[in-house]
Amino acid sequence: MTEASPSVAALRARFGGAVLRHLVSCGDTIVYVEAARLLEVMTWLRDDPGQRFDYLTDVTAVEYRDQERPLEVVWQLRSLGRKADLRVKVELDQRQPLVVASVFDLWKGADWLEREVFDMFGVSFTGHPDLRRILMWETYAEGFPLRKDFPLRGHFSRAEQTRQALSANAEAHYSLEELSIAAAYDELPADMQERLAHGERGGVK
Amino acid sequence: MGLTLPDGGAGTEVSTMSPNWVTTRLDFLSNWGRANSLWPMPFGTACCAIEFMASAASRFDLARFGMERMSFSPRQADVLICAGRLPFKLAPVIRKIWDQMPQPKWAISMGACASSGGIFDTYTMVQGIDTIIPVDVYVPGCPPRPEGLIYGIQLLQKKIKGESFLDRDLREEHLLRPDGLFLPAEKIDEVSEPFGNSVHQTRSA
Repeated sequence: MTEASPSVAALRARFGGAVLRHLVSCGDTIVYVEAARLLEVMTWLRDDPGQRFDYLTDVTAVEYRDQERPLEVVWQLRSLGRKADLRVKVELDQRQPLVVASVFDLWKGADWLEREVFDMFGVSFTGHPDLRRILMWETYAEGFPLRKDFPLRGHFSRAEQTRQALSANAEAHYSLEELSIAAAYDELPADMQERLAHGERGGVK
Repeated sequence: MGLTLPDGGAGTEVSTMSPNWVTTRLDFLSNWGRANSLWPMPFGTACCAIEFMASAASRFDLARFGMERMSFSPRQADVLICAGRLPFKLAPVIRKIWDQMPQPKWAISMGACASSGGIFDTYTMVQGIDTIIPVDVYVPGCPPRPEGLIYGIQLLQKKIKGESFLDRDLREEHLLRPDGLFLPAEKIDEVSEPFGNSVHQTRSA
């Protein structure tokens, strides 16, 4: 399949200049959109009856070895009902602060995905309710490991890395609060509430 | 080993004792009991843990060496087996587990990653758990076969059978130093130096 997804034509008709360009790679359609109108485009892609992209598969980012090329933030969308995929990209100039809108309000699943992109690439998602590191510990001070200017062994000496790691709070990453189950309890389906209420830890509520 | 006075009488009464028929018989008895009923605390983080489970299962049967009782509480464990790589995020965890284990206690570093960082000469990985806790036996391999681990355990048993309660330094707790490290900083940097093939990695800057 080398033809672009019909979503591209629909997007161009609806948003015009906000759709910068598109290409087809390995059968997947990639749409580059304007960063400023990202949220608008994403809302339409989710809610329009002809699109119905109701599932956010992944959020990630790409930095190229060529420093002149912009950093790309990637959203992989899936319509479960239509069995269709679409990849949306936004290009961010590396000389500017890396800021883009959060799609957390559209897809709750964006929560941890955006935290991971923030943790690894340093992209800030405006509107994210809880943007902090997720893979590295919260006091990690060496920078953003997947950026090209990050040395493989990190910035600090091994002794300094060991010292900082040993001074971390060993309990911090494994609390129930970290998983936000307790906070989300009221929004959970009834059967899940029932299971959690009789959990081996004595329930979350 | 308690044979000579370190500084002319600073030691306690026991340390001034020289080994005689009674003490060596007592040593034999206690060491025989300890060596043949080691309770391991499995700290499995990666593929080595699979081989460790195979060692404990019926084909290789760790129970033949008195180690069938896995102790998932560090407070009832004798030997910590670190089976797998140790990221910096887990460094305070293994340190805490080691501190919670009562004397007498020993540690086995199982596999290349636990012993030296292995192929993971990166920003996330502790370059050998001996920069975090004292290690008695290193088992090489990637991962070691169960026979390898069992040989390591037999070496540890041999070591235990050579211990003497007259050696007061043997049961001394090695806590973190005031600078928050287990080894001196320059020692950690020295043992964490790239070696072998990773010296030639151009991307490791």
